[in-house]
Amino acid sequence: MLDRRALLQSALLVPLMADAAMAQAPAAPPPPTIAGSGANGTLSGFLRIGADGRVTLFTTTSELGQGTHTAHAQIVADELGCALEAVTVTVGQPEPALRLAGVNEMYTGASFGIRQWAPRLRRGAAAARTVLVQAAAERLSVPADSLTVADGRVVHAASNRSLGFGELAEAAARLPLPEMPAMKPASERRISGHNAPRADIPAKTRGAATYGVDVRLPGMLFAVARLPEVFGAELESFDAAPALAIPGVVQVVPIPRGLAVAATNTWAAMRGAEALVVRWKATPHDGMDSAAVSARLRAALDQPQAQRPRNDGDWEATRAAAARVVSATYEVPYLAHAPMETENATIRITGDRAEIWAPTQHQDWCVRDVAAALNIPPANVTMHTTYAGGGFGRRLHVEVAAQAAHAARALGRPVQLIWSRGDEFAQGYYRPAFAAKMEAALDASGRVTGFNIRGAGGSVMYDYRPWLFRNPNFVDPFALQSVTDTRYRFGAFRAEYARVDLPPKVWLWRSVGSSQYGFFVESFLDEVAAAANKDPLTLRRELLAHDARALAVLNLAAEKGGWGTPLPPGRYRGIAYMEAYGSLCAEVAEISITRGELTVHKVTVAYDCGDVINPDTVAAQMQGSVVWALSAMKHEAVTLKQGRAEQRNFDSYRIARISEAPVVETHIIRSGQALGGVGEPGVPPLAPAVCNAIFAATGKRIRQLPLAGQDLS
Amino acid sequence: MIELTINGQARRLDAAPDMPLLWALRDILNLTGTKYGCGIAQCGACTVHLDGQPARACQTTLADAVGKSVTTIEGLHPEGRHPVQLAWIAAQVPQCGYCQSGQIMAAAALLRETPRPTDAQIDAALEGHICRCGTYQRIRAAVHQAAAQG
Repeated sequence: MLDRRALLQSALLVPLMADAAMAQAPAAPPPPTIAGSGANGTLSGFLRIGADGRVTLFTTTSELGQGTHTAHAQIVADELGCALEAVTVTVGQPEPALRLAGVNEMYTGASFGIRQWAPRLRRGAAAARTVLVQAAAERLSVPADSLTVADGRVVHAASNRSLGFGELAEAAARLPLPEMPAMKPASERRISGHNAPRADIPAKTRGAATYGVDVRLPGMLFAVARLPEVFGAELESFDAAPALAIPGVVQVVPIPRGLAVAATNTWAAMRGAEALVVRWKATPHDGMDSAAVSARLRAALDQPQAQRPRNDGDWEATRAAAARVVSATYEVPYLAHAPMETENATIRITGDRAEIWAPTQHQDWCVRDVAAALNIPPANVTMHTTYAGGGFGRRLHVEVAAQAAHAARALGRPVQLIWSRGDEFAQGYYRPAFAAKMEAALDASGRVTGFNIRGAGGSVMYDYRPWLFRNPNFVDPFALQSVTDTRYRFGAFRAEYARVDLPPKVWLWRSVGSSQYGFFVESFLDEVAAAANKDPLTLRRELLAHDARALAVLNLAAEKGGWGTPLPPGRYRGIAYMEAYGSLCAEVAEISITRGELTVHKVTVAYDCGDVINPDTVAAQMQGSVVWALSAMKHEAVTLKQGRAEQRNFDSYRIARISEAPVVETHIIRSGQALGGVGEPGVPPLAPAVCNAIFAATGKRIRQLPLAGQDLS
Repeated sequence: MIELTINGQARRLDAAPDMPLLWALRDILNLTGTKYGCGIAQCGACTVHLDGQPARACQTTLADAVGKSVTTIEGLHPEGRHPVQLAWIAAQVPQCGYCQSGQIMAAAALLRETPRPTDAQIDAALEGHICRCGTYQRIRAAVHQAAAQG
């Protein structure tokens, strides 16, 4: 038996595998069959080349609609030297080669699908190409450097001979992979960096893409969860009889945090879950409402205890010496991800092994939790990652996996467990409600000499990775995200965070901490500009005068968005800028307000994510980010009453509709700097750009979201 | 037994007449292209055609569908090449894609009634369809594209 770990180490994460089961084994010959020896019928790694020349890429990211599967195929096809169409992408099993370095987990988040994986995919594909060429050189008895690679073939031009990848795969897989393969210069890339059609789209237009809820197994039951209404309430007692009386309901079983009603179809299970009579234990916050949340946040803005991860210069002295101090307090509510596909997982247990199908962002945690629930080793759990009906961070939360495993064990049958839309909204794991107090010091000439900010709210990292807090000095990096590492030079700069623990769990929500700090800081800078009687763009240029890269982004948005040029009557502009996940983004919003009704007509985005794999995907992500952020800004809030969420469906939690979608014009800067993320950084500048335009239009400063219910007339 | 016509085929279902069509399609007939989003006709993900008219399958009972022709995304075109589907691919509309079956069914119904819709008409027809990924701009563009080719 091969030592898989040694293989991986020697193979630089990306061994090339042939369908013929021949791994590059330095010592013992590999076994003739490879079933069970590694993920996906390979020993490990990213790539398998079949005898037909088809390349299968076992990738690490979940396809949530962000397009990373196609981008990964582009990178591999380019570096390997084959057509994009020759590459099929599937999600691999959790294993070392597919785990993110550092955390050592296989998951999809933090907009890292390209920036973390592109270099490794490229290196792996280059290594594979190198051994394919070596195998061809041996076969043709010519020097390797006399060969070229194109369209899935290794070509010896001098003798007009060529061999397809499929003919070479088995021999190539016997060769040791080079640790530092020669990679193609960027100038030779023909697929990566250019628009490519997304491989997942055709099936998604035919209803043929399999999401988690579409998994169907022989003998499977459909189950719906019944979970507490009050955050964190525990089950006291229940009466299953009313549920069991519903035709189609098979059984009611306990799951972590509640019950599951299993039936022959989802409708019966849903009715059963509603019919269950459940008593929940009282909690200390049974009477809590949103006013109490707000009061806690506001109190924390003034409490003595806070972490202070940034403290440049002497803020107090700067404040005392200022000709003028501008100050303001802002607040934002809890937000739900509300992905269109509610939480779900499908489990099949066979002896001491289990399989899970889930639309997850975190494969390793699904496997971990299923294994723990069933008391089997993680190696006995097979992970099938389906398409996901939206991710946005929500699906890093994998609680439903363990719930489904408990249900499957109790039922003795495969089961698909889903959460109702009501529970998708009501079970917490929100973008935290947050408040911030900011002060800026100005000298007599209106120059900013210092900036002081305190944010207060729940700690996303505490609910996401609590073990990090064993270190008492740990600072949640989301708690002042995009603030502590800002490129702005304020002079004196103090940034503080006061953690407020509240009943609803909080979670990563598209752009996480930057989602609120974009609104806070960029709206406040507009206030500072107004106080200093400066154009908002001018103020930002002054604060970024030392940074050519940031200025280029800001200036491009201003130029393309027509900043400073005349507008039709009734139209107004606002601008904002933020850096998140390694990408710099500036947005100019153009709005009008008619009888108090806001219309966002156009948003111009300037975006520097270093380099681009699929430009059209970047444009799509900017369109999506703008609509996402606009929806939250205008409509969205989870409010609390009597310890529970008031919103249970899209009738009470409003999402922006097609008539509200502005034109989004995206301008990409290929700065050649380190790759940045794409899925999230377009979100933070939108709300402040629009709210700053509202100020330009009305003189009203929006310091609280959502806009719904606020008078803009 | 309930007898229905689904995608041109006569189907017999052993199900209650008050069962929503959505769940019969998904859980009995394994036509999973029609999606559950909200269950209260607020999101449009479950949109199918009943005698060519867009209908929310979560609010349509099997009894409602008896005697009518039900078309789901799987039956919109035999090869999945309806002009709206082709336009959706050409404009690279879907992101996560979960809502798109409903969007496409609604767009196809719109174009049958209104072959050259304006932006306002597109918005009116699709206002009941949530896309959480925010593909609305491309949806609008694709509907125009399909109209131009239809």
